[in-house]
Amino acid sequence: MTLLKNRRAMVILAGLIVAANGFFPAVWILFTSFKTEVELMKVPITIIPQAPTIENYIRVFVDQPILRFLFNSVVVATLSTLLCVVCSALAAYALVRLRLPGAGIILSVLLAIAMFPLISMMVPLFQVMRDLGLLNTWWALIFPHAVLSMPVCTLVLISFFQDIPRDLENAAMIDGCTRLGALWHVVIPLTAPGVFTAGILAFVNSWDEFLLALTLSPRVASRTLPVGITLYQGEFSFPWPIISAALIVAIVPICIVIAIFQERVVSGLTSGGMKG
Amino acid sequence: MSDAIRHKLTPLEKSERRLGFAMLAPAFLLLAAVVLYPIAELIRNSFHFNHLAQPWMGTPFVGFENYVKALGDDRFHEAVWHTVLYILVTVPGAVVVGLGLALLANKPFAIKWPVRLGLLLPWALPLVFAGLIFRWFFEYNQGVANAILRGLGFEPLNWLTTPSLAFFAICLAIIWKSSSFVALVLLAGLQTIPKSFYEAAEVDGATKWQQFREITLPMLRPAIFVALIFRTITAIQTFDIPYAMTNGGPGNSTETLAMYIHKTTVDFLDLGYGSALAVLMFIVSALITSIYLRHTRRDPGRH
Repeated sequence: MTLLKNRRAMVILAGLIVAANGFFPAVWILFTSFKTEVELMKVPITIIPQAPTIENYIRVFVDQPILRFLFNSVVVATLSTLLCVVCSALAAYALVRLRLPGAGIILSVLLAIAMFPLISMMVPLFQVMRDLGLLNTWWALIFPHAVLSMPVCTLVLISFFQDIPRDLENAAMIDGCTRLGALWHVVIPLTAPGVFTAGILAFVNSWDEFLLALTLSPRVASRTLPVGITLYQGEFSFPWPIISAALIVAIVPICIVIAIFQERVVSGLTSGGMKG
Repeated sequence: MSDAIRHKLTPLEKSERRLGFAMLAPAFLLLAAVVLYPIAELIRNSFHFNHLAQPWMGTPFVGFENYVKALGDDRFHEAVWHTVLYILVTVPGAVVVGLGLALLANKPFAIKWPVRLGLLLPWALPLVFAGLIFRWFFEYNQGVANAILRGLGFEPLNWLTTPSLAFFAICLAIIWKSSSFVALVLLAGLQTIPKSFYEAAEVDGATKWQQFREITLPMLRPAIFVALIFRTITAIQTFDIPYAMTNGGPGNSTETLAMYIHKTTVDFLDLGYGSALAVLMFIVSALITSIYLRHTRRDPGRH
């Protein structure tokens, strides 16, 4: 059965292409992070480090407070995700269930406002946060990051909430639940994959965000990871092995998170959440 | 609920409605604080002279002067043109590559996790990391790109210091990074296509290419549309990757609108002019968003 065998080989090849496309840059950076400056100067370049060193990793922790950057990123991403999912879930539920007049228009207005390019609001946001004394605090990023993901979270949650039959909530409410009680005890557990998808989208958006983090937290100690990583470059030098090591240190946590949740992420994203 | 049937609301309906608006309140309060108020400030700034390096000038009202200045500012025109080029190249590029990845990832694999992780990794990686990694790839002496060229017997190229090559390298990085999200959206679309369609086509003797053109593409249309719009909205704001790879150089040949706004306000400290540029930017992006909203407008309460 060569035909069957061919087909199998094609499937494996397809998988390899997708995996290689995703992994190649990270693997290349991983190799670079164990090389010495001297080895990097060699032409032709080496692929596998010939005299692996962990010197670069030591420099990563000594040169900049990278654990502080990591901590800032985790706090900002977690709190902005919570804020975003709570606001989006309440709004989505109200729009789907509570027979509001003009629900479609309200949704459009919400999306239109939330989709304004935050980049263009860099300066006024800076002024607002400065006036409120929030510059260099986590809150300066938490609020804008929550807005950043609000359109996609609201759309995902609406499409999941629509699939829950009304009768389930009505039954819960006859049993003495309030509306909010029914949302919390019946709807949210049943739409857990949707809530999870919304959450992971919000988390990654916040984790990635660069420009606002660059502008709204100018102090080194309040940098998030994406901004902090750029501090490893000198004014005229670009120490590639150290930057590579810093990138690896920064990539590993998010890799662990998506490796643990990969199945739920993909199935959440593909189970109708993005049907637009 | 149209006005034609204007019946009296029962107390239950009334309280539901009140609760509904109360539940919308947190989202709209947040939007008011983070978007609406800053937009008002932004528009006000754009009609004033406000240069932090010239504090003695104060912040007098100057009418449309900042906007008129933008009309004659070559660097602004170039930044807009570069942004348009990035959109024209990277949005279709990411959709084509993303479609390819989605088709490849939709096969029945025995071991699924490497494929899944490979699909998710570029998406989860911060843009600025992707920018740094690709800058490393296109480094003159030690980059992979030139290593390959040397291996094939060609002269190495000055990727990041030649305008057209730098543009190409940046586009490649953007497409690599953003095709991953497109692939996830399209994979969702692919999985909604019933297998029976393909089986029926197979029975009728359709080739793979015909199946792709007659079944896959038309069924994917809505997902492709969603991906295109989301990509376009983010492409208008392109900043991180060119910032990390070239910082707009050589000269300002790879500078985007977002980068120019950032430089005008943060480096040149010209808040008034920067605000006018930002207003122009959000007008463009609002136009594109409105096209999207027109296509997706629907009543979430009715289904």
